[in-house]
Amino acid sequence: MTVFPQENLLAKRRYRPALNPLTLKQLRRFRSIGRGYWSAVILTGMLILSMGAELLVNSRAIVVSYQDEWYFPTYGAFIPGRTFDLPYDYETNYRELKRVFKERGNGDWVLLPPVPYDAMENDLRSDIYPPYAPSFSSGHYLGTDSIGRDILARLLYGFRITFGFAFILLACNYVIGIAVGCAMGYWGGAFDLLFQRLIEILNNVPYLYVIMIVASIVIPNFWTLMIVMVIFGWTQMTWYMRTSTYKEKSREYVLAARALGATSPRIISSHIMPNTISVIVTFIPFSIAGGITALTALDFLGFGLPPPTPSWGELLAHGMNHMESPWIIYSVVVAIVLVLLMVAYIGEAIREAFDPKKFTFYE
Amino acid sequence: MTSYFIRRFLLIIPTFIGVTVLVFTLTRLVPGGPIERMLNEAAMAGGDQASATTNFGGHGAGSLSDAQIEELKVYYGFDKPILISYLEWLGKVIVLDLGTSTRYSEPVWDTIKSRFPISIFYGVTTLILTYGICIPLGVVKAIRHKTVFDNVSSALVFFGYAIPSYVVGIALLTVFAANLEWFPLGGFVSDDFDDLTGMEKIGDVISHAVLPLLSYMAGSFAVTTLLMKNSLMDNLAAEYVRTAIAKGMDFRRAVFSHALRNSLIPIATSFGGNITLILTGSFLIEKIFNIDGFGLLGFESLVDRDYPVVMGILVISSLLFLIGNILSDICVALVDPRVKFGSGGSGQ
Repeated sequence: MTVFPQENLLAKRRYRPALNPLTLKQLRRFRSIGRGYWSAVILTGMLILSMGAELLVNSRAIVVSYQDEWYFPTYGAFIPGRTFDLPYDYETNYRELKRVFKERGNGDWVLLPPVPYDAMENDLRSDIYPPYAPSFSSGHYLGTDSIGRDILARLLYGFRITFGFAFILLACNYVIGIAVGCAMGYWGGAFDLLFQRLIEILNNVPYLYVIMIVASIVIPNFWTLMIVMVIFGWTQMTWYMRTSTYKEKSREYVLAARALGATSPRIISSHIMPNTISVIVTFIPFSIAGGITALTALDFLGFGLPPPTPSWGELLAHGMNHMESPWIIYSVVVAIVLVLLMVAYIGEAIREAFDPKKFTFYE
Repeated sequence: MTSYFIRRFLLIIPTFIGVTVLVFTLTRLVPGGPIERMLNEAAMAGGDQASATTNFGGHGAGSLSDAQIEELKVYYGFDKPILISYLEWLGKVIVLDLGTSTRYSEPVWDTIKSRFPISIFYGVTTLILTYGICIPLGVVKAIRHKTVFDNVSSALVFFGYAIPSYVVGIALLTVFAANLEWFPLGGFVSDDFDDLTGMEKIGDVISHAVLPLLSYMAGSFAVTTLLMKNSLMDNLAAEYVRTAIAKGMDFRRAVFSHALRNSLIPIATSFGGNITLILTGSFLIEKIFNIDGFGLLGFESLVDRDYPVVMGILVISSLLFLIGNILSDICVALVDPRVKFGSGGSGQ
């Protein structure tokens, strides 16, 4: 009698192709939807670029070559001005350093980022008061706000923070929602009833208003705001997962799995979940858009991330208070519209590719 | 069915208590408490915002003595345990006493009531315009599926769907009010409204209302139009429409007397939500256009830490929301005789 080694059997059972044919087909369909696909490409590119925002938009230089020694000031502790023989101990002003090196003319050079300003930095001048209009010569390509901070820098860093926030919010909401929702649908009973009531309460809270109430009491930072928004935001996914788990639970294959002796966690994780979770992909872009919209609205109203954090909502509010400097409001409105349109295009394409409910029509 | 809706109405009570307990507790659980925060901020007013945000929790150099602070606590009911002061508050709410506004020094209910006419004006107008435009538009889009008209309007609908209404509002305000100066920069009426003649008054209200109404509509416009179009298209492909046409019925009559009636059902599911829109509006849009409605009151009372008003607004808006949900279900039950609530089916 041949005895199969246990490991082998397990390995065989656990084996799943990385991408099954259905997923491949869905991905192909997604690629074929032009505007959704290209929006995804552009947005991903922008996200990757924003990861290295310090190299693109920063008051610190990328490379400084001084007396045959190279410095990379972008990351890490600041380099005091004395290092480059400037008469001060605080952080080097690299824009000035570039000018000084040119005057000295002994082969030292500074490579500044394309936009040589930081999002928090006030660029003050002696001759005029901010806000400065967009200009190529000063490097403020989209102008500055009323205290001399570069709009492009604030847009880019705001983009990174907003998307980071939206993605973490999404992850928290989905993890909690999927876990609780599956448990509710699978076990039902008192647990289900308890959470149903809780969800009903949370769903009936005026979401944004309650977050504003909380934010008016505890002045929020990134993480407290996140916690508050998760507390009121996890219910949506939970409700969806509960219904679909409940439906799947009564199907024959679950019965078969149970008859074969599979444990509840196993039935949930490897039988029910794969069948319910695929549709969740179609919700992701909408949750991202929702996260961006909510955070921007809170920032706009002044109940979001504390100043001086660069944020789109703060720029919106700032632009509305300085209508005489229209470049502020136009830059941020165009940025928001473009990004949200791209997210919506992606969402539309994903839904078409993954959930092809073709609408029937009269012929 | 009636018993089901009675049960739903009774379930409002625990949910309402849950919502208010939640928020009430939140306002009390804060380290320092609202009184200390108020004093802190008063002491720091005039200082720059950035330092105020980093420095909280500690007792600021308040100019009030401890005895005065205690007095204030008693006045606002912060001296008692959460549960007791909540029950006291709830007892007052039941007899429709929402307390006294700390900012206006008048009953909260009067403050809120005075804002209703403006919010109702915008709510009702938005409602009429939304349904008046979306239903015909959806019908035309369904019948003329994949024509130039359908594609062009789809682009517009998609835009309204992707962009939140407050961003639309800000964009409209910037372009048409600040730049082109076609419309006023906000408010409900001009300052010299009382001096205007009858016709001028109407014109004044309309010119102030155009931009906010457009932004209100941007929110609901896309969803309703798409819902109408898709459900009508589904119904047009159904057997009974095919049968009617096969029997020689005019296409137009088949659409309007058979398919349209059935495709209005999904629209009815969202009808109850309008009660919230009508009465409370959107504080974002009211803030942007500086319209003195219910939403702006909610925002201002938060900024001024007028907690009685904040709680009052929460009470009214969550009650409206709960009632609106049930109203939606009643609407569905009215238009669709197949729907049977109560027997295992969840109303949500």
